[in-house]
Amino acid sequence: MITNNDKELKLLDRTAREFARKELAVGREENDRFPHGPFFGSVLEKAFDLDFFHSILPEAHGGIGQGISSLCILLENICREDASLGGIMLTNSVAHELFFASNASELLGTIIEDGNGAEAFLIAAPVFNDPSSQTPLVTAYKTGDGYQLKGRQDYLVLGGIAGHAIVPGVVDGVDGISFFLVDLKEKGVKISEPVESLGLHACPGVDLVLENARAILVGEEGTGKACFEKMVSKLSVAGAAMALGIMKGAFKEAVDYTQKRSQGGRPIIDWSEMRMILANMAITIKTSEMIVSRACQAMENNESGWEACARAGAIQVHDMACNLTTDGIQVMGGVGYMKDFGQEKRFRDAKHIQSMFGITPMKKLKYLENIL
Amino acid sequence: MISASEKRQLLNREPCFEDITNSLRATGSQPKGIINEARDVVAIARKFADEVVRPHALALDLKITQDHDYLPWEFVQQANEWGFYTLFIPRIFGGQGYNISTVGFFVEEIASVCLAMGNLIGVHYLGYIKLIASWNMKMINRLSREVVAGEKSKKPCLLSLAMTEPNAGTDSQNSEFMNTGNLGCHARKVDGGYSISGTKIFISCGHLSTWHLVHAYTDLDRAAENTVMLAVKTGTKGFSFGRTEKKMGQQGSIASELIFNDCFVPTGDVCVENEQTNRLSRSIKETNAQIFAYIWSTSRAAGVGYMGVAAARGAFEKALGFASVQKVDGTLLINQEWCQGLLARMYINVAVARTACSEGTQACAMHGLWRILNIKPIYYLIRYTPAPVLDMIFNRLCERPFMTWLFRKLCFNHQKNEEIDRIDGWGSLAKVAGTDAAITNCHMALELMGQAGLRHDQGMEKILRDAKLLQIYEGTNEINRINVFKRLIARSCDQAVAFSPSNI
Repeated sequence: MITNNDKELKLLDRTAREFARKELAVGREENDRFPHGPFFGSVLEKAFDLDFFHSILPEAHGGIGQGISSLCILLENICREDASLGGIMLTNSVAHELFFASNASELLGTIIEDGNGAEAFLIAAPVFNDPSSQTPLVTAYKTGDGYQLKGRQDYLVLGGIAGHAIVPGVVDGVDGISFFLVDLKEKGVKISEPVESLGLHACPGVDLVLENARAILVGEEGTGKACFEKMVSKLSVAGAAMALGIMKGAFKEAVDYTQKRSQGGRPIIDWSEMRMILANMAITIKTSEMIVSRACQAMENNESGWEACARAGAIQVHDMACNLTTDGIQVMGGVGYMKDFGQEKRFRDAKHIQSMFGITPMKKLKYLENIL
Repeated sequence: MISASEKRQLLNREPCFEDITNSLRATGSQPKGIINEARDVVAIARKFADEVVRPHALALDLKITQDHDYLPWEFVQQANEWGFYTLFIPRIFGGQGYNISTVGFFVEEIASVCLAMGNLIGVHYLGYIKLIASWNMKMINRLSREVVAGEKSKKPCLLSLAMTEPNAGTDSQNSEFMNTGNLGCHARKVDGGYSISGTKIFISCGHLSTWHLVHAYTDLDRAAENTVMLAVKTGTKGFSFGRTEKKMGQQGSIASELIFNDCFVPTGDVCVENEQTNRLSRSIKETNAQIFAYIWSTSRAAGVGYMGVAAARGAFEKALGFASVQKVDGTLLINQEWCQGLLARMYINVAVARTACSEGTQACAMHGLWRILNIKPIYYLIRYTPAPVLDMIFNRLCERPFMTWLFRKLCFNHQKNEEIDRIDGWGSLAKVAGTDAAITNCHMALELMGQAGLRHDQGMEKILRDAKLLQIYEGTNEINRINVFKRLIARSCDQAVAFSPSNI
């Protein structure tokens, strides 16, 4: 990402890249075997210790309080090697932002300050849908001292790892969506085995069934849709940064391979058709980098229309990542399809994160609605 | 009016009339009985897809995700019991005799539900096509009858095609690259046969196959002129299986490593060698290229191209099913105009890809591997002669070198250069059209389905993972596009050359 010679961002960029190279690249294939292999908890803890989960969290909550650029730089570098850790970081940020958008930062504080290590710090959230398009939603019933939830939430990301979850629901008798904080160890909470998924295997989701489980309202009843939209406007660009990182990782592996592999008596990087594919990849990456950097800049400067900049850019960058990672496999031929290399995972992960915050066609229609 | 010579000249202008009318010309030249054969194979494939494939496809994928050394023998046994490994073996060799022109329809039905299971059947015919392309009638008859015997004894006998090597993917599949490539599977002439050493990789269903049709080279520096095609049986001394690859998709259809270490192959198991082809009208190198064209044209147009159609269709069906039940903003997706347009685009992609594969298949039917068997009198004679009579005649005839000589004369010498261009060009075109449609539709389906599409239990993400391999095997789509240029475009520009160092 473009750091504009900001020393802090440059340092963050180097630190994250070094971490990804040393901690993530080596164990990528094994980590991706989850849930059929061990969870990479020790790597997660190291990232946590390096404050990778605290970049945009306000200082009042023990965070660093940096702008969106810092989160994007972290995600981009992490996702060059393994987007699963990026998915965990982003999911946690989604949960945090929903609290902030709901003016419920104090409630958030009670959770994360109680935390002890990465897994206790994490909050699960349904990242891959738009709750306003989701049917049916969990139903919430008022009780004397809070709410009881009934229903199911499919594909709750980090549900099997985090201590708490933020879940959308509808309060019985009240219009609109509300968000609730659920203690995942509470009575009445049932969590499935990790859902087998296309990508982000080490950022697993679960199906959550709530049977009169106690919950705390986040913010005010019926305001969830607006809070969700506020969160999406801010974090769409973070999803795009993940896609950008995946693309950069794919390009590097493709170039490295084409320099080593020979066919027809010459390195395949010397084949002009191959060079054209690589050229298109490079141009796509540079374009995506400009989009992500510009969207961050617009947001940090609070420019008029920054939300549109972030949302449109994210839709475009995700689309480009899906196409680029296809080529990332293609330039490596058969080995690109094998798990021994990183390209097939990047292909799956890029497609997986495209569904962040809902289905793409509805995101496009919503974008138009917002600007008309 | 137009004179005959002027008409000829006009029709030969690009695009050449013959190239754009494959199906039209096939309507007149091909036996009508093939249509009913197509009905039969589609019906049986649909029944099999319902009873065997659909109930087990996701479970098999998951099983191999957990244990990638698992070999899906139970599926192979079932396909064998349903008679699918002899379905497209001609009746003169003891098979059921369904025309190879119908194999694409068959594959589409099964692979639209599970590409891996479609491959567990289809790849056997890839090996069989390679065997046929040798036109070694004695070997074809012998191995065909072993497959038939395997069906009767319930001990499946599958064939694999072994070409790709660790350092030679594209190099191993195109005669233009062989002499400058890194081929390593060496065949040494010894008393009574060959001794081969080297490794083949990415061999679909290798561990599950009984016979392996192996390309090896007597001179690795001049492989294009020194290729031998050998049949190696599982269990032969000096031949062993290596690892199975850890693939992103098509996990049920395993990819094997075959290791040859001074493996002796007797003369009787040699399908093609220079001593057999050096008296044909084309040079040895040209004949080897012709064999490649025979193999790839049929396997790409009627095989992997239709696998692409199947994946595109599978994705379309998943999207349609999702849109039929999912509401957004209170309205079913399927009743939102933008979604109807999207589904229509997916349907069109399937239909256009299928049409391309059908055109390619018809080109092959007229000018490719099955051209002799599709001549109407021969077709009907073979179809209506009782099987025991055919067995009695052909078992004896195929033992005679005369038969191999005759079929090689007919199939190699009498195939015109423009016919080779047409089948090979259309094979590549069909492969690219089918497999690109597959990936396009998978992307569209997943974008529509969002979170639901990401889940293994919904089946859509598996189609994407499976489909991606289609753009790679049997020649990457990039290589196939260059082959389309070489076979169908370059001739219109005298200065054009393809697959040459000057293309860098």
